[in-house]
Amino acid sequence: METIKFVDVTKCDGCRACMVSCKNWNDLPSEIEEFHGSYQSHEKITANTWNVITFNEQERKDGGLDWLFRHSSCMHCVEASCEKACPEDAISHTKFDSVVIDYDKCVGCGYCVQACEFDAINLATYIDKNGKEFRKAQKCTQCTDRLEEGMQPACATACHTGAIVYGDKDDLLASAEERLAKVKERYPNANIYNPQGIKGTNTVYLLADKPSTYGLPENPKVALSQVVWKDYAQPIGKAMLGATTMAVIGSFIANSLNKKNESSEGEDHHE
Amino acid sequence: MTNHWNDLKHADVLMIIGANPAENHPISFRWILKALEKGGKLISVDPRFTRTSQMANVYGQLRSGTDIPFIGGMINYILENELYHKEYVAAYTNAAYIIEDTYSFEDGMFSGYDKDKRSYDKTKWAFKKDEEGKTLQDPTLKDPNCVFQLMKKHFSRYDIDTVIGVTGTAKETYLDICKTYASTGEVGKAGTILYAMGGTQHTVGTQNIRSYAILQLLLGNIGIQGGGVNALRGESNVQGSTDFGLLYDNVPGYMQVPTTAETDFTYQGFLDRITPKEGYWVNKPKFYTSMLKSFYGDNATKGNDFGYDYLPKLSAGRNYSFMRLFDAMYRKELEGLLLFGSNPAVGGPNAGKEIESLSNLKWMVAVDLFETETSSFWQKEAGADPASIQTEVIFLPASSSFEKEGSVTNSGRWMQYRWQAIKPKGESKADLEIVHMLARKLKDMYKNSSNPADMPMKAMTWDYGESDHPDIDLVCREINGYDMKTKQQVKIFGDLKDDGSTCSGNWIYCGFYPENENLAKRRDSTDEGMSNFLNWSFAWPANRRILYNRASADLNGKAWSKDRVGIEWNALEGKWKGHDVPDFVVTKGPDDPTFIDPFIMMAGGKGAIFASINEGPLPEHYEPYENPMKNSFSSVQLNPAVQFGEEEMNAQGDVSKYPIVATTYRLSEHWQSGAMTRSQEWLAELVPHMFVEISEELASEKGIKNKDKIVVSSARGEIEAYAMVTKRFKPYKLKEKTVHHIGMPWHFGYKGIVTGGSANRLTPHIGDANSTIPEYKAFLCDVRRAK
Repeated sequence: METIKFVDVTKCDGCRACMVSCKNWNDLPSEIEEFHGSYQSHEKITANTWNVITFNEQERKDGGLDWLFRHSSCMHCVEASCEKACPEDAISHTKFDSVVIDYDKCVGCGYCVQACEFDAINLATYIDKNGKEFRKAQKCTQCTDRLEEGMQPACATACHTGAIVYGDKDDLLASAEERLAKVKERYPNANIYNPQGIKGTNTVYLLADKPSTYGLPENPKVALSQVVWKDYAQPIGKAMLGATTMAVIGSFIANSLNKKNESSEGEDHHE
Repeated sequence: MTNHWNDLKHADVLMIIGANPAENHPISFRWILKALEKGGKLISVDPRFTRTSQMANVYGQLRSGTDIPFIGGMINYILENELYHKEYVAAYTNAAYIIEDTYSFEDGMFSGYDKDKRSYDKTKWAFKKDEEGKTLQDPTLKDPNCVFQLMKKHFSRYDIDTVIGVTGTAKETYLDICKTYASTGEVGKAGTILYAMGGTQHTVGTQNIRSYAILQLLLGNIGIQGGGVNALRGESNVQGSTDFGLLYDNVPGYMQVPTTAETDFTYQGFLDRITPKEGYWVNKPKFYTSMLKSFYGDNATKGNDFGYDYLPKLSAGRNYSFMRLFDAMYRKELEGLLLFGSNPAVGGPNAGKEIESLSNLKWMVAVDLFETETSSFWQKEAGADPASIQTEVIFLPASSSFEKEGSVTNSGRWMQYRWQAIKPKGESKADLEIVHMLARKLKDMYKNSSNPADMPMKAMTWDYGESDHPDIDLVCREINGYDMKTKQQVKIFGDLKDDGSTCSGNWIYCGFYPENENLAKRRDSTDEGMSNFLNWSFAWPANRRILYNRASADLNGKAWSKDRVGIEWNALEGKWKGHDVPDFVVTKGPDDPTFIDPFIMMAGGKGAIFASINEGPLPEHYEPYENPMKNSFSSVQLNPAVQFGEEEMNAQGDVSKYPIVATTYRLSEHWQSGAMTRSQEWLAELVPHMFVEISEELASEKGIKNKDKIVVSSARGEIEAYAMVTKRFKPYKLKEKTVHHIGMPWHFGYKGIVTGGSANRLTPHIGDANSTIPEYKAFLCDVRRAK
């Protein structure tokens, strides 16, 4: 059985229990940010805040108002840029189709951070016992450790309205279509976000408005540079030059070919 | 709640007014969304667009403090267009009752007003009786002095244009709400009203709720599945605490506390005063005597009026409610204060003055999880001069809910038992343990006293075990009550006696603990029908899930709708049966003249469209204590029955100086004064800053940009906070002028991981004319950019 996480934002009432349950299960530290001028607590996903509810206010065509909430976290792309970009093979798909990072392999180079179209991966800084700083890429694991025990992701368990559910892919995609038909009257631009340019995602959304309203790319693709890098250059290069040198070359290729916007931090997709 | 949480899914239309359950009662949306998925409609009425409003089909804006015009206009719309449930209104409510000729209403005032006392002589509004003492009725509802006609006349003044000129609601939206909600008057349909502190925290709070009740009675929405007037309680056990006599003038089970008035000199005199002649409350003496037996055991005898004299008496005519206690403290009339999980320095109205009052105490004992702003009011960080404060503060660390066992009663009156999950941290103790140790210590100290004043303490029984940890099971058994001789648990409150042969700590909970099983511990999630879950926990009274469920059936005892069966009369078996425990005598059949009297707690058994409370028998609009406009409905500006407290505690602001309407509220992420949530890092990070929400229009007028620091000032004080400029706030377009409003959470203080200005530094020290709940929800202020 293939499984996905399905997020129906039209059922979300913005309570943020998913954020707390995520921190609780993954034992992540609190990060108090400056005042952002809205209900949104964190500007975006960080290395220690793996999901953020975004809050968007917009006027409706009929004169009313919409206050749109979205549980944003790693999409667990079928064709994952982060996985392609990783020079250490530290990122992989699990049997649940979730995308996870092997912290033992991760060297903190940050290519995955650059590669991710969804700003879902970030580097956490640690200090080793000699006082030396080192970095690790961190993100939502779709609670793979819970899935292995037959449990649901922590966010899905905490969600009281059923806006976040985890289960059989075919069933959930079918019910997503049904639900889409239902909410079209209230949200004419509603759509199912499961971008095919990356062969779909293992977190599928029912969005109330265009993806761009939520700061999501309309049609994400894995950059050609990453495909070249991962599938051709890296295997050959590693054999010839060794891993560290390859990482430097990789960085050069990525920076010169990467079509993606320079910064994953400067842009404010939110209110 | 007349109904319960799970029942929300049966509603055709839900109107949320004065509440924001998506934020403050999030789990409710599990059930509300089920109603919407079946095609139900959700209406959100609120001064501001909330997370609840986003989930709603219709959002209607109203100015804070104008619920009565809003609902009054709906009542008028329903009456004018004859959209009410005619059979229900005529048979199940007091619409047909004739009122005495001494009743009158003119220019905002009912007859019988005493200006000096600011109170009414309610006998002027009495029901007219015949020679046998029976209430006169006109079943055709045509008599000009019947309740129906008086109500119609009263609310005819609440025409749509006058109403929206006061509430600021867009006309089209208002009409849409009237039409949508009135559709539930159709036989077989159900509409529910959900309210919380947005309804109650006003000088007209009680009448706000009365207006909801009248609307629901007119539409036949009480007693049915998916209907009801549903108070969303703001704390996990606030229902339980009021059930158990938390309010100063209540003993457990919603019975009165005796006073020093002459009527109460004797137990019999007191019982005569508090026991009505009709309705289920005629049994009150049985409940009261059984309660005294639970207090005083064998020391309560017929010879000593069951220990009635041991009960403390209130000074007649004196109000001991929250604000009046602080008034007394301000005047140095109070020596000590025991606080259990209470943080008035953040949560109290005009908190600055209340903090000042605290320093007049000789001692304070604070029981809490964390050191709060109140228990540290004397510290430098509070802005106080510790050397000048003589109050001795004792702090007792309390256990959190996960560290103790016991029950909490939810809004749906479900008493749900909880077990200890983890051991208490450090020296912290459960409230029950703290009270138990205190009681035992006091009893020990008084045991050799011969002073008559010490007798109540000596007479009180306290048989819950000899260790510091009480046997909670014994407490439970006593709350239910038992036969004094056989010690057998009583089965139901109908078994309680007024001769001292039974005891019961709280009659409404009678039946939760029959001989062998504490029913609050039940966790059977089988739905036997209409999601009443009769074997899950215990609901008072008598495990009834929907109050007045007799009204779910028509005059012949058949359900109004086959899709909405509560209870039905089964002629074959000669009893009421269905998906709920009948709130009616089970065997009372059509031959009984009271077969069509569903409202068993009311004299006459009819739902009270007309009910005498302090400011009148029908809700009338008065402006809040601080308001931006002249009352459009009469020349009377403030509720004439509101009582004033200590003058120095209650400065009043004027619209010329404070032109902006303000209100306060809670958020999903924090709880009450924030004592717990601002000390919890994962909640603290979600809302780490005190903010004030203001409209784009007001921001531009005042030169305020989003994220600016601003100062909000009222006649009581000022606070600094971040400006949150938002489209969700819109100025009110009122009759002849536009009025701005702002809103802010009241969760912040100077303790905890995240801190900020306390909104209650701004709020007025005045309250409702019946309950004295403070008017937190509507006051005046001004805003400016912080320098």
